[in-house]
Amino acid sequence: MSANPSTRTFRPYTGEKARIARAYDYLVLVLALFLFIGSFHLHFALTVGDWDFWVDWKDRQWWPAVTPIIGITFPAAVQAVLWTNFRLPLGATLCVACLSIGTWIARIFAYHYWNYFPINMVLPSTMLPSALVLDAVLMLSNSLTVTAIFGGSAFALLFYPSNWPIFGMFHVPVEAGNSQLTVADMFGFQYIRTGMPEYLRIIERGTLRTYGQVAAPLSAFFSALICTLMYTLWWHIGKWFATTRYLKRI
Amino acid sequence: MATTTEQVKVMTNQNKFPPWYLKDLYRYLSAFAVLTVIYMGFRIYQGAFAISTGLDSTEPAFDVYWMRLLDFELVFIAFFTSIAWGWLWFTRDKNLDKLEPKEEIRRYLTLTMWISVYTFAVYWAGSYFAEQDNSWHQVAIRDTPFTANHIIEFYFNFPMYIILGGCAWLYARTRLPLYAKGISLPLTLAVVGPFMILVSVGFNEWGHTFWFREEFFAAPIHWGFVIGVWFALGVGGILLQGVTRLIELLDGLEDAA
Repeated sequence: MSANPSTRTFRPYTGEKARIARAYDYLVLVLALFLFIGSFHLHFALTVGDWDFWVDWKDRQWWPAVTPIIGITFPAAVQAVLWTNFRLPLGATLCVACLSIGTWIARIFAYHYWNYFPINMVLPSTMLPSALVLDAVLMLSNSLTVTAIFGGSAFALLFYPSNWPIFGMFHVPVEAGNSQLTVADMFGFQYIRTGMPEYLRIIERGTLRTYGQVAAPLSAFFSALICTLMYTLWWHIGKWFATTRYLKRI
Repeated sequence: MATTTEQVKVMTNQNKFPPWYLKDLYRYLSAFAVLTVIYMGFRIYQGAFAISTGLDSTEPAFDVYWMRLLDFELVFIAFFTSIAWGWLWFTRDKNLDKLEPKEEIRRYLTLTMWISVYTFAVYWAGSYFAEQDNSWHQVAIRDTPFTANHIIEFYFNFPMYIILGGCAWLYARTRLPLYAKGISLPLTLAVVGPFMILVSVGFNEWGHTFWFREEFFAAPIHWGFVIGVWFALGVGGILLQGVTRLIELLDGLEDAA
């Protein structure tokens, strides 16, 4: 536990006071761990959800756009509290690590062991490299504007290359039923999902594919633009929620 | 130099575990253990009976294995709410003006434990069983709002974290001077906002009944849940309120070894 240096002459506690402060730190750590697994995961699952659940949803158009745009929200809000008040440059990494823990547990025990989806079909994507860079940019720049522009852009632009080593193999073309499709598509056709029929799948809609192999980078740059705005918006949302007001009545 | 009686007393207190400021540590750990057993028990129950008896809500076995579980949950939730909230209210501190600083410090740590237990329940409701709901909808035809996963997620997990959030709010309100004098906005946001997730179940089920039978998780029909969970960010404000007061209290405390 530490106070904001700007409002207090910093003098480290010793003895019992230090032990109390440390005990409080550990309690907050446990609290934060479950808070962000629970809350960020629910927010993420109900907005990015399907693009993250299913390997055949991981396309070049929506997946690299939607995931960082939604993924930068909680990291920005938590950075606004942890960096501004405690000088802890780990808000983004904390949120994204918590999200990874939550998604991995769910994919293994809820999808694979309960309903027998192959784990390769439901692998979660990762935003850890993006989050590490976002935290590093904030720490080095100590600036909301710089972090929003460069950190937010990096958060989006790093997403696709970070995930390509995990998911590239599922984009290998195969021929089945006289059609050419990807291994990921095969998963989708072979494992029937009663709640997610093929007509609902949102991948590569529109004319973006006419740009051929630059479709994914274009989506990533679009995502970078929105991420700079989302970062700023969610920084202020985080600050607003971190109010210390007491009310007379509710 | 000889060891004095006073020094022996201090040394004895130092070795005592848990120390005075973590007096509720074992209760806190017990709460985690009990909740873990309950939630993992639900998951094991689902693994054992969901496929065999939970796919068709018109089967008699569905009534036996799932609707009875729902009835049991509702009774348990009502009973637990009365006991927990009643105990916190009736054992409230009526002399908060005379609270010793050391006792106030201890209570701040206990409040953090309460909020921590609340967030543990949020984990099971918001993370594990929420995603599991998507998984179950992919293998079962939606023929009832009371599916084998909804019965646990919506009618036990959601009420449970709300009750535990209410416990944290009541604990603060009845045992800590600052929270008794004024109503903490961030604590209230962090408890009331996620409560709205339970209310969103109504919209969700209405929408799935009349509008959208599939389970597209990112669909707008689910965004009520999303907005509710944003309020969990109020924990940042609770942290700032707690840290500020703890620093005041610790600064006023005499240094001890």
